[in-house]
Amino acid sequence: MRDAIKQSFRNNLWKENQVTRQILGICSILAVTNLMANTLVMGLGLMFVISCSSLTISLLRNYIPHRVRMIVQTFIIASYVIVVDIFIQANYPELSRALGPYVGLIITNCIIMGRAEAFAQKNTPFISLLDGLFAGLGYTIVLMVIAFVRELLGFGTLFGRNVNFIGLETWTIMVMPPAAFFIIGVMIWAAASMTMTRDKKAQSAPPALRPSEVKQASATSATAQ
Amino acid sequence: MREGYFYTIGFTFVSSVILTTILAVTNAVYMPRINQNEEIAFKGAILYVLDMHPTTKSEVVSMFAESIQQFQLAGIDVYARRDENLVIHSYALPLQGSGLWGMMEGYVGVSADSQTLLGIEFTKHNETPGLGGRIDERIYKEQFRGVPLGNLPIVHTEDLNAITGATSTSNAVLRIVNDTMNKVLPKLEVHHERRD
Repeated sequence: MRDAIKQSFRNNLWKENQVTRQILGICSILAVTNLMANTLVMGLGLMFVISCSSLTISLLRNYIPHRVRMIVQTFIIASYVIVVDIFIQANYPELSRALGPYVGLIITNCIIMGRAEAFAQKNTPFISLLDGLFAGLGYTIVLMVIAFVRELLGFGTLFGRNVNFIGLETWTIMVMPPAAFFIIGVMIWAAASMTMTRDKKAQSAPPALRPSEVKQASATSATAQ
Repeated sequence: MREGYFYTIGFTFVSSVILTTILAVTNAVYMPRINQNEEIAFKGAILYVLDMHPTTKSEVVSMFAESIQQFQLAGIDVYARRDENLVIHSYALPLQGSGLWGMMEGYVGVSADSQTLLGIEFTKHNETPGLGGRIDERIYKEQFRGVPLGNLPIVHTEDLNAITGATSTSNAVLRIVNDTMNKVLPKLEVHHERRD
């Protein structure tokens, strides 16, 4: 159990990060990441929705008819998203105005459905909940990194506070959605090349293995870790 | 059993009923609060463009009730502000027009003699956050206080700056304000003279 949690944590945060390794949830990244405060709310909202929906789907996994499972998943996810949206509208009207339609669009985030399909419907509730939480956390961390770069270079502020003490010219392109594309591209490249280097090392260590055995070996070593 | 038609239909039906009930309850619980928020946002916008500055939510409501009066003028809602002696001090008019990305809605305040602009505020827009979206910022909005309406159209000047990187939005704001002024001010003047 402990190992499973550790593995889920490691995979979701780095090795199989939803954004940098699986390239999911990109649309929302382009939209919300020009201000760190909005990004944080979006990330927290997603973490809440993904944990709750993974837990619910896992609890119901033996009862959901296979034929309509995706409809049911979407339904569960949508319900949580609407609850979050109503909650923000009622308690934080200014924030709700700043985020506009993005909260409602959490439902279209493929990460949530991805975790439901790939994990929650085959695993027990507790680990599914954690898996959802870690996947959301991995997404949020990537988002915050992008937002940090964009807000810093685009506005010279962090969380709305001015840090541009020497009066550098701000960079308008960083405020626009394409900037997220550039940053996410660099991050994906970095993550991919680091993973490749690591895999090469792992492959070169035991010299005389056939490709199929290499696959098996790396699979077992991954689970052993 | 899990794959049977009746089970599938039954499961879908039951889960729909449960989830819909949860949503309906949440909605019902929070709706009064959301409506109240919207009302305060609307009243706050009217007060802001008329250069009144309540500090708390309850002050927004009481100030609005005390001094603002709504009436219809050629099919649009106009809000008149009366001072302590019940003399009309200023009017708030609705603004509407297309911005860079979509419709923008808001209010503009004009003095009772239609000679001075008192303030603007946008309540709905889809401008780029951080660029055009900065029309929500005080530093931009405050520039409009005291702009003379004697010779329309209003143009960007040293005292009325556009937003850097958001020229289209800035121009759209001026266009919407000018259109509204051209359309409504003559009627408002007639109305005002007749009334007092």
